[in-house]
Amino acid sequence: MPMIVCHGPKGGAGNTFVAAHLAMGLSAQGADVTVVSVAARDTLPLHFGLSPATSLPAITAPADEAVLVGGINLRSWRRAAEDLDFVPMLGELGYFQPGKERVLVVDVPSGETRLARRLIEHACAHVCTITAQPDTLALLPQVFGEAGAEGLARTAFVINALDETRRLGRHGAAFIRELAGSRLIGRIRLDEAVPEAIATLQTLGRYAPASVALSDVQQIAEAVAPTLDSTASAWVAPVSLAA
Amino acid sequence: MRIDARNLLDRLGRNEFAYKEFEDRFSDLELWPILEALLRDPRLQTLDQTNVENAAPEIESSDPELSAEPLKNLFSRYEQQSVSPSIAKSVVEEPARDVRAMLRHLSDLGARGEI
Repeated sequence: MPMIVCHGPKGGAGNTFVAAHLAMGLSAQGADVTVVSVAARDTLPLHFGLSPATSLPAITAPADEAVLVGGINLRSWRRAAEDLDFVPMLGELGYFQPGKERVLVVDVPSGETRLARRLIEHACAHVCTITAQPDTLALLPQVFGEAGAEGLARTAFVINALDETRRLGRHGAAFIRELAGSRLIGRIRLDEAVPEAIATLQTLGRYAPASVALSDVQQIAEAVAPTLDSTASAWVAPVSLAA
Repeated sequence: MRIDARNLLDRLGRNEFAYKEFEDRFSDLELWPILEALLRDPRLQTLDQTNVENAAPEIESSDPELSAEPLKNLFSRYEQQSVSPSIAKSVVEEPARDVRAMLRHLSDLGARGEI
């Protein structure tokens, strides 16, 4: 079971949205997907059209307690950051093997950088969701410095909530595009349908099937899919959408 | 989605629409100081090394329309039409310079008061 780590440098960039829709996209391509949130304050269920009162079962909980949405298994492990056995446990559960049969998508909050680094060491891909806003751009040197060349070798970037009608957003995206090159695997256009879907307790696909954000994130899931079978330490999506 | 937007898309026979390109006026293309500051940070070079050493062969994008104009093109256009002849000449003589080198060069010229 390969693992994809979703982790960005700044909160509010849409990391959980991307993690949820990666899980949906990979599931639509035939993968058996488990998505696990390690956030203390968890919004993952909202992207699956579930009520805010939904409490996700622990990753170790028995199958009869599972929360399944469209065949995707939703789990949580809130003490992952302090739990030094978390990563070995994932290995014992078979989450680090290549193949499409079972896939683990981990939603790691921006503040949990150490946990993210520990997980990325074992992941087939790290999807780093950022916005094109200057406060996010300002964090990139720190991100690169902490990750080093080896960590970045598994990293792909996604620009979320991109508004190209705004000059600064346009220039910020151009800057990221130049910087990341083929490691920028896509962009997700700003779309009011995303929060509206949450507000109506529906999935984005059901609420707004014509949503531009939905089509953008589906393309990103397609770009990530080939990494599931990869055993290389470095990875770049074979089809760069160049955002 | 608002019903009027839905109706418009139906009339156009499309599922979505978005602006594909926005022209920047030359006066819009000045450097944002934060971008210049970031480009001076040596930690950003890590990604360059990673791309060179480990990246798989890049395959051409299947949808070139998704690719917006590269930053270096924006700035080269800016240079050709709105900066002093000395800068424009240097760009013509060194067309292969990457955007980082170009921005540093512009920054150095600015620091020396030559822009």
